[in-house]
Formats: sequence, C-alpha cells, structure tokens
Amino acid sequence: MTAKPSEVMLELKNVNTFYGQIHALKGISFTVNKGEIVTLIGGNGAGKTTTLRTISSLKTPKTGEVIYKGKALHTTPTHDIVKLGMAHVPEGRRIFPRLTIRENLEIGAFSINGKDVIEERIQNGYKIFPRLKEREKQLGGTLSGGEQQMLAFARALMIDPEMILLDEPSMGLSPLFVETIFDSIRALNAAGKTILLVEQNALMALGIANRGYVLQTGEIVLSGTGSDLAQNDEVRKKYLGED
Amino acid sequence: MQLFIETLLSGLALGLVYSVIALGYTMVYGVLELINFAHSEIFMFGGIVGVELLLGVLTKTTWHPLLQLVFALIVGAAASGVLAVTVERVAYRPLRLRGAPRLVPLISAIGMSLFLQDIVRLVESLFGNFNRPFPSYIKGDEPDFFAITHPLVSGATISNTTLTIFVVGAIMLAGLTYFVNYTKTGRAIRAVAQDQSTSSLMGINVNNIITVTFLLGGALGGVAGVLYALKFGTLNPYSGFLPGLKAFTAAVLGGIGSIPGAMLGGVVLGLLEQLAAQYISSSYKDIIAFGLLILILIFRPSGLLGRKVSEKV
Repeated sequence: MTAKPSEVMLELKNVNTFYGQIHALKGISFTVNKGEIVTLIGGNGAGKTTTLRTISSLKTPKTGEVIYKGKALHTTPTHDIVKLGMAHVPEGRRIFPRLTIRENLEIGAFSINGKDVIEERIQNGYKIFPRLKEREKQLGGTLSGGEQQMLAFARALMIDPEMILLDEPSMGLSPLFVETIFDSIRALNAAGKTILLVEQNALMALGIANRGYVLQTGEIVLSGTGSDLAQNDEVRKKYLGED
Repeated sequence: MQLFIETLLSGLALGLVYSVIALGYTMVYGVLELINFAHSEIFMFGGIVGVELLLGVLTKTTWHPLLQLVFALIVGAAASGVLAVTVERVAYRPLRLRGAPRLVPLISAIGMSLFLQDIVRLVESLFGNFNRPFPSYIKGDEPDFFAITHPLVSGATISNTTLTIFVVGAIMLAGLTYFVNYTKTGRAIRAVAQDQSTSSLMGINVNNIITVTFLLGGALGGVAGVLYALKFGTLNPYSGFLPGLKAFTAAVLGGIGSIPGAMLGGVVLGLLEQLAAQYISSSYKDIIAFGLLILILIFRPSGLLGRKVSEKV
C-alpha cells in the first residue's frame, strides 16, 4: 500500500452535477494517482454514485472538469471512455441478464478487436474466477449476487483497463463474498490497476485504500490516508457505526 | 384433404409474410420500448418500390422471373431500410435525446404513419398509378412462372408463388436469427435491448445500434412488402395498414420484444386467418382470428414466447 506521490491519473476540478433542480455534486475536486486505491465513502445520497456516473459521462456536469490522463472526459461520450483504458463496474453490477456468461464477457470486449486477444482475456477471467467457467453457457440473470459481482469484474477486465471505477462492489453480498471481492480488488491493484472505489462499507474500504474522501450531501467534507480516516473520530461515529 | 393441405400451405405463406413484418415491430420494441406504427408504411413503401421497379424496368429485361424478383427484393429492402432509419432520425431520436416521456414518440409514430401514407399517395398522384398488379410472366404459350403449380400428396398442389415465399421467408428468419445470436453487432443489439447505459459503459455506441436495428427491421419490412405484392397482386398507399396491424398483433401474440416470438406469432396468425377464411367465413376471418388471439392472450398474457417476469435482478 505504498502510494508513489507521482503521476495524477484522474482529476476532478470543481465539478457541479445536477439532476433537474437537485444539486447533486457541489463543487467536487479530488485526484487519483497512478497505482493508488482511492475510496469515496459517505451515506446514502451523498453523491458517490453520481460522482462515478459523472466521470463516465453518463451524467454531464454543469460546470467543472474531469481530466483523465490529460483528456477531458466531460466532453467525451461514454462509449469512447473505455477506449482510454477506464472501466466502470456500475452499482448493482448490471450484468446483462439474458446474455450468457460468455456473451457478457464478449460484450465487455466490444471496444477491442482480435479474436485471439479476446479469447485469451476470457480464459484469464475464468482463471481468476473459476466459477464463471463452470457456468459459461448459463444466462447472467441466473447467477447469485456474488457470482454476478465476479462476472462484473471479469467483464471490466476484458479491456485490460488501467483504471477501474467500482461502485459498491460489496452491496448485498454475504460476508464471505465481501472478503473474496476485497481480495480481488487488492489483487487487481497489485497487478497495476488504479482503483477508485465507492463503498458504504467504509471500514473495509478504508482498510485497503491508500487515500479516501468523505462525501456528505454532494460535498467533500474530509480527506486523508485510509488509516487516518479510519481513526478519525467523526468518521468512526458516522460511517463505522461506533459511538 | 386436398383443400386442407392447400389451406395450410397458403396460411403458412401468409404467416411467414406476417412474421417477417412482425420482426420489425419486435426489434424496435426490444431496443426502444416503442411501437413503431410507421412500420406498416415502411412495409408498404418497400413493396411499392419493388413492384414499380419490376413493372418499369425489370420485366423489360430477359432475366429469369426469379432473378427479377430477387433484384426487386433487394431494392425494396434497401428502400425500406433507408426509410426506417430516416423515420428514426427525424421523428424519434430528437424526442429521445430530449428525454420525452414514452407516450410522446408513440404519437409521433402514428403521425409518421399517416404522413408516409399521404406522401406516397402524393407521389402516386404526380407520377401515375401505383395500384398496378404484380407482373405476370407469360411469354408466348408458356404459363406464368409464379402461377405454375407442382403436385403434392392427395392431389394437393403448391404454386411457385407459395414456394418462393417459403424460401425467401425462411432465409429471412434464419438470417436474422444468425445475425442476432452469433455476430458482434447482433450481440450488441441484445445488450442494448437489456440495458442501454451499461451497454454504453461497455463501449457500445447506443445510437448506432438503434440505427442498425431500424435498418434491419425496415429492410425485412421491404422484403415482406414485395412478397405481399407477389401473393396478393397489388399494393396502394394504404395497403400497409391492415397487414401492419396484423403483424403487430403477431408480435404481441408471440411476446413483444422476442424475435422467435414474432416468427411464431406471425405463422400462428396466418394459419388461423386462412383456416377461418376457408372453413368458416372469409368475410369474418379477421374477427375469428382476432377472437382466438384474445383468447390465447387471456391465458398467456405475455405472449406465446414472452417473458413472464421482469428481468430486474
């Protein structure tokens, strides 16, 4: 977990995002450096998912900038962002329920060409999550929550991303699966992937993050290293459920 | 027995035509949850283009009637495909990009349907009569190619028209099934039909896929238009309405959004209609066929092959 204070990979500068009249992100600014795990924590409706959706251009910010590897994402259409090496695992996993496991992976590789590369990456995904191979021909909708999360990870890896946005990967999973999922996040990071992790499970998230930001009603109210935040009184009270 | 077999064959041919039209409704519904009421005019347009091309140009060549028909099918398909893409660009996409509620594009679909009927009628009034019969191919003392019949069992016969519709219809259904299930673009169409925003996260340009869907659905409509003219002889600017409505019904019967459902629904409806016309009453055939449909839908409200439950996970 040694972060090199080096290259900035992703930077948000004073981002304001609206849902109709609702001011969901109120001037958010933060950075993610290459090789880091950075987490955004906060309660329901704090703007965590909106932040990721804004980065991926699913929401266009009203003002402010999102810069990834020197490119402006807020003016790039969503479907072109994957080509820059950024994968987004959305909230609720969003597996295609009526595509097979294999087809879900093939769709993950939509932006790349080359049969051999695609096949190699599918096999690689099966190596990381052998359970997916067993169910290759099953429809995505028949998988359990934990298996869907594995598939969502494997699908994101199809483009061999440099950076991965993860939205609540532990949501709705049994404690055992939560462990597995966090282990794979650590492994991905060790393999060189930069990770921006949104979590309600603040304790787990801060445990693996180099740095964290605390979001509250669309604003960043605290920031620091993972361990500093985990020891911060306010954070412990509000997000770690301690009195 | 002879009558029964011939009625079945005729019903099957009619049903295949409905199936090919119904695919256009069900594919567009699949990706946009929009009932493209203009599809009946897209079907009619391709048919008229094909027939006019045959009468104006192709019958003056010495090509074999089948080759002429294939050429007319291709041009009719292209004309309908381009028209369908244009309709989407002009009438549906601007509304979608502005986030219009779902009822709004439905109204513009009905508007487009009426608009296209009148545009074709206007062109007809300027350039002559579209309501001309499908060409017959009588040369000297040779019989009309498409009227030639071949003997089957029990004295029943099958005409070249029916055979042609079987072959072309089967190629369309098989080709589309292959495309949607086994090609990269086909997979993307299925992904977009299930979840647009996640599809875009996968790098799929959703608007391009919607265009491809309209192009394919429209082209199938054009093929069906030429086949319909072959079977029934003539088309006019208002000919799209009733077959379009029936094909839409077939799509609902099979389970709207389901591609195999549209195929099955079309065949079932065609058979019901033909059997009712033959054995009960030809003037009440539609009432009988639609009455049976309502009955089927009461027992299978999501259609023969429709999904029973929503797929939210």
